[in-house]
Amino acid sequence: MLILLTGGSASGKSSYAEDLCLRSPMPRFYLAAMQPYGEEGALRVERHRKLRAGKGFETIERYRDYGSLVLPERGTVLLECICNLTANEMFDDDGNMTDPRERVVEGVKNVASQCDTLFVITNDVGSDGIEYEGSTQEYVRALGDINARLSAMADAVVEMVAGIPILLKGDVPA
Amino acid sequence: MILVLGAYGAGKRDFARSLGYKEFEMSDSIEAEAPVLFGLEEIVRADPEGYEALIEPLCRRELVLCCEVGSGVIPNSREDRVFREATGRLCVLLAKRAEAVVRVVAGIPVAIKGELPCARC
Repeated sequence: MLILLTGGSASGKSSYAEDLCLRSPMPRFYLAAMQPYGEEGALRVERHRKLRAGKGFETIERYRDYGSLVLPERGTVLLECICNLTANEMFDDDGNMTDPRERVVEGVKNVASQCDTLFVITNDVGSDGIEYEGSTQEYVRALGDINARLSAMADAVVEMVAGIPILLKGDVPA
Repeated sequence: MILVLGAYGAGKRDFARSLGYKEFEMSDSIEAEAPVLFGLEEIVRADPEGYEALIEPLCRRELVLCCEVGSGVIPNSREDRVFREATGRLCVLLAKRAEAVVRVVAGIPVAIKGELPCARC
């Protein structure tokens, strides 16, 4: 089962997703796609670690190439997040740009095929009405396309608003 | 307290007016005693680190109106990122305390927690 969780920054996506994971079977894996840059990145990772503490997750840091990922066992997986994964697939360390769409979508399919329940966190970054310069605008469009493709694949889609889950498609596990 | 969320210009204050609130009952100052507070995001922007101290005074209001600010590209400036994060976290905390949460989309109020309030008598 694939469940996509979307919502703005600081809308309560992670803590809701973790609560859903607690109702799903063990083992639990947390796939971290964020490369922590600088002090702010380290603080963000630390905040998420504290939220997850005691919830029985094994953390796997993986910044790109989910298509070749092999999970140690079946179980419940929380992948956080598609925004970071898309950026990592799109821009390499030298700043070269490639189209991330296939790699991200195929990567999610590969992970979904290896677990019972996959929760995927993403964000809607296209709602600020600002037109960005070249590669950023490309990124906004690519992430929008990827979100639409993941939604089409997903059994359930939830939008978080101020910590309140709004069901957009299907049902989340009771 | 009822929390009213929505994009900039989505119609949050019009929603308050539709419930019967008059202009003099709406204020964007945390010190004012008006039943409706609007522009919460600007109060957070002025002091993003202090957002938790706003919860109790806000819970004494009848309506609290706040822009949703988290659905764009991560801003380049640290100040903007901290503001966005603080506004989001504050709204999560306020939504937990609120009797109802209304999200205004293109002028249409949608109750996402509790029920849409009736117009004041």
